[in-house]
Amino acid sequence: MDLGFDIRKSYGEFRIDVSLSLNEDLLVLFGPSGAGKTLILKMISGIVRPDEGSVIIGTEKVFDSKTGVEKPIRERRIGYLFQDYALFPHMTVFENIAYGVNAKQGGADAKVKELISLTRLTGLEARYPRELSGGQKQRCALARTLASEPRVLLLDEPFSALDYQVREKLRADLLRIHDAYPITTILVTHDLEEAFMLGRRIAVINNGRIEQAGLREDVFYRPATRDVARFIGTRNIFTGTVAGLGDGQVIITNPDLGVIKAFMPEGRGPAIGSEVSFCIRPEEILVIRPDKVLDSRVQDNIIEGEIVSATGKGSTQSLFLKVGKGDTLLKVELPNFVVRKLTLAIGRVIRVSLKRENIWVINR
Amino acid sequence: MDLYPLYLTIKVSFTATVFTVAFGFILAWVMAKREFFGKAVLDIVIMQPLVIPPTVLGYYLLGAFGRSSFLGRFLEDAFGLQIVFTWKGAVIASFISSLPLFVKPARAALEGVGSELEDAARLLGKTELQVIKDITLPLAWRGIVAGAVMAFARATGEFGATLMVAGNIPALTQTLPIAIYDAVQAGDAQTANVLVGVITLFSFIVLYIAGRFTKGRF
Repeated sequence: MDLGFDIRKSYGEFRIDVSLSLNEDLLVLFGPSGAGKTLILKMISGIVRPDEGSVIIGTEKVFDSKTGVEKPIRERRIGYLFQDYALFPHMTVFENIAYGVNAKQGGADAKVKELISLTRLTGLEARYPRELSGGQKQRCALARTLASEPRVLLLDEPFSALDYQVREKLRADLLRIHDAYPITTILVTHDLEEAFMLGRRIAVINNGRIEQAGLREDVFYRPATRDVARFIGTRNIFTGTVAGLGDGQVIITNPDLGVIKAFMPEGRGPAIGSEVSFCIRPEEILVIRPDKVLDSRVQDNIIEGEIVSATGKGSTQSLFLKVGKGDTLLKVELPNFVVRKLTLAIGRVIRVSLKRENIWVINR
Repeated sequence: MDLYPLYLTIKVSFTATVFTVAFGFILAWVMAKREFFGKAVLDIVIMQPLVIPPTVLGYYLLGAFGRSSFLGRFLEDAFGLQIVFTWKGAVIASFISSLPLFVKPARAALEGVGSELEDAARLLGKTELQVIKDITLPLAWRGIVAGAVMAFARATGEFGATLMVAGNIPALTQTLPIAIYDAVQAGDAQTANVLVGVITLFSFIVLYIAGRFTKGRF
């Protein structure tokens, strides 16, 4: 079922103004805390009334400020997974899920059993929510929502209250369940890793507005604005002056990095002399081994810098290189074994290569 | 010994409590779940009987239901209903004075059921009545029962307003608290002692029951 919305609402200074349309797919609404993500879900579902705009499910207008249409929550047939699940504390797992089944249809018991096995809750039917772990509660709430056969599924930070290990398993569960019940789904998260893993399509939201919406690869590797680049963890965002253009590439100068060459599709080139932003993801930067003869592919954009800090993050290390005379820092993310093998310690000066195809120039 | 006051007190209190719970539940629900203009004022009006002297309350009720008032005349002309100096007057006095004791805990209990749970039920396609029946009431019933017990206890002890509205007519409007007053005035210590004993024991039982209900929660 297609979902389209175009809604606006003001809370004093804070203003939400978003419009999107999606079909039977999973869209991740990604953005920092306080960006208005939950509020958008509440406006789509009818819990909060937008000041103006419209919400359309399939061909049915469930909200339209122009014509005064406002379907009550119960008639919208929207599945909503609350951040803390909102399981009914006085009902067992079975009763919670069965409560979602429309009483008019037969075979309620069979359906509840099917959902219980789909969400790996077999054996826990008679438990009350207070007797469940976080992950079990989340799956029970999801099963209850699916039992009502929603046309659209809205998931509000479904994994935020769970341990790291449980999260990974449940993300895989969610994708499996989404394949079994291909419902148009919006998932809200502020977790970058989660957004990348779950969203084939991602909309980046900031300050009540959609900064960029599109395919995962577009958003992650071709951010439309500096803010998007920042939110998706690009980290290395610099400004420079366009010095040359042509042959599918752009030449940018930056006081600390020097001359940088980047690929640039024909037609979207900025004017020579104009100022642009460009970025490269930390994991896309190559470290050049001291003894290695440079081959032609990595001859461009060789930068020398001193390692000034290093922070470990599980399987990878983030190194910060001080480059040039200013205080520009370049973040490089490397697997731990590479750091060990090349003995990359603080104080060492190393050379890195920013490959042309990995540099993205932000037009705005 | 005349047990009529005991019988009348139970009859009046029970009837008053039925009205208190029915009317009070709607009030408590509206106060807990809806925002509207004048809510703060309505709250103060509902709570008035807790703080104004019962005689003042009785005076208001006399003014409202007496024969010289519009409402009193209307009830008598249209339905043949006489309020003042009948046991019905005692019911109204008890109803009004016990209403805040019911509304306060009932409202708190209803507010305690988070709007998220109710929204979750609405999202599953349930109507407002189903939400109340399946979610709100099962989670708030302890507070509501506790409030009803408190209201019943307050109604059995109602004195001042009842005396003003229903009077002190033996075998007609003389409730237990008024009978105690009468017995003391007449120097009948034996009757007074028995009646006082009955009502003290009763109050203990009521508060114990109310305490039991408010304890456990989901």
